Amino acid sequence: MARLMDIGLERLRNMVLDMANLSENTVSTSIDAYVQGKDLRERIYGWSEQLRMLQDEVSELAVELIARYQPVASDLRFIKSCMEVAYGFSRFGRYAHDISDVFGIFGDLSKCDKTTIEQAGDQAKNMIRVSIKAFTERNVELAGNLKKMDDVVDNTYLDFVRKSASNPLGDLKCTVSGTLILRYLERIADHATYVGESVLYIVSGERTARR
Amino acid sequence: MTLSLQLEKLKHANSEVASIRGTMEKFKIQTEKLNAWFGNNHVLKDLSINIKENEATAIIGPSGCGKSTFIRCLNRMHELVPGARSSGVVLLDNANVYARGIDPVTVRRRVGMVFQKPNPFPTMSVYDNVAAGLKLNGIRDHQKLDRAVKRSLELAFLWDEVKTQLDKSGTSLSGGQQQRLCIARALAVEPEVILMDEPCSALDPIATAKIEELIASLKDQFTVVIVTHNMQQAARVSDSTAFLYLGQLIEYGETTQLFENPTEELTERYLTGKFG
Repeated sequence: MARLMDIGLERLRNMVLDMANLSENTVSTSIDAYVQGKDLRERIYGWSEQLRMLQDEVSELAVELIARYQPVASDLRFIKSCMEVAYGFSRFGRYAHDISDVFGIFGDLSKCDKTTIEQAGDQAKNMIRVSIKAFTERNVELAGNLKKMDDVVDNTYLDFVRKSASNPLGDLKCTVSGTLILRYLERIADHATYVGESVLYIVSGERTARR
Repeated sequence: MTLSLQLEKLKHANSEVASIRGTMEKFKIQTEKLNAWFGNNHVLKDLSINIKENEATAIIGPSGCGKSTFIRCLNRMHELVPGARSSGVVLLDNANVYARGIDPVTVRRRVGMVFQKPNPFPTMSVYDNVAAGLKLNGIRDHQKLDRAVKRSLELAFLWDEVKTQLDKSGTSLSGGQQQRLCIARALAVEPEVILMDEPCSALDPIATAKIEELIASLKDQFTVVIVTHNMQQAARVSDSTAFLYLGQLIEYGETTQLFENPTEELTERYLTGKFG
């Protein structure tokens, strides 16, 4: 016999998965728009707002489930993690919006070399996909891979900053916009790693120390 | 001093503190391979547990798992049931309560009990209910009795509600007040451990909340062991929780840990209601 709480948990899971799909799409679109020099700020802002509202809905449902059913053990860990994961997905939306905003600040960036950003963007997109898969399947192994993937994005960002600092005569517009976008990608990668940590917590109850 | 050396020293100091704390932790009750039977029915199986002093320990588990039998073994009440017997060791402050020559009445004075349904002595006043145990122990001095009755009722959070009606019958009080009267009665003989067998199951939420607050305050002076069917209550009031199933101890640990991240699959299934 299904428990009453299971209906609510399923709803919660579906809401988080809706957020996952939307956030993946939002980040991908913002990176692609930057690479292709398209101004999609309005659309991405709309999606990012939608993600923020969905995050509120997830929190409300989570609190309702806690109040109604006083969950414990894996149920409690799942609900707590859904709130954290939903926050992560809403941050994906926010950083995607920030990436699209770079166009508004700097205008045409077609002369900038976008190779590094494209590579880091691919890695961040891949991390989002892996984090969603890990959450959907409660796959601890996939979740554990995210830390290593995060290191790649971190190093790309730091290398870019170091190189830019050692070459003050480079194109300032390209340097600043590139630094900003890489910083947003680095944050996206961090949040994807946190999603992985939540998966580990749901499955085993273990908490990982954050770097 | 380098930062890594400082960190190393700090780590060492922390582990020393943890080890000192560990040795200071005192167990009030310890059971070793405790078994209990009702006739041929083996209801407790090799139960070994250490109950910490000045803590509230909750015993949870499905009906018939041996929760009540377990606590009744702690103060030798189990043996009062015809056909009931037990084996194993129950240490109270490191002394076996089942050792030859130990008077069960003395054990029960040191380990008091509060039952599921409030059971004040029906023919006695509020005052006499609390004083009954003391009088049985030979105390006749009125001033001493007055002081003990007041102290016990205060400890049970009942004094302010009954101080003007001490002569009224104990059964004239509300259900929640009657249960706190029974707790005051148990406290009057100055026990060291209070066993509570589902003390709130017959009470409304307000009365339940009062008993739960009371348990939290009693921990300062007594060791409390509470049997409850209500898992949320166990989570609210206890420091440690033991999960029993079919007479066996399945899991025992800190309440927060057990309710958030149980180690045993059986505990997980019981707590989340995915049982049977």
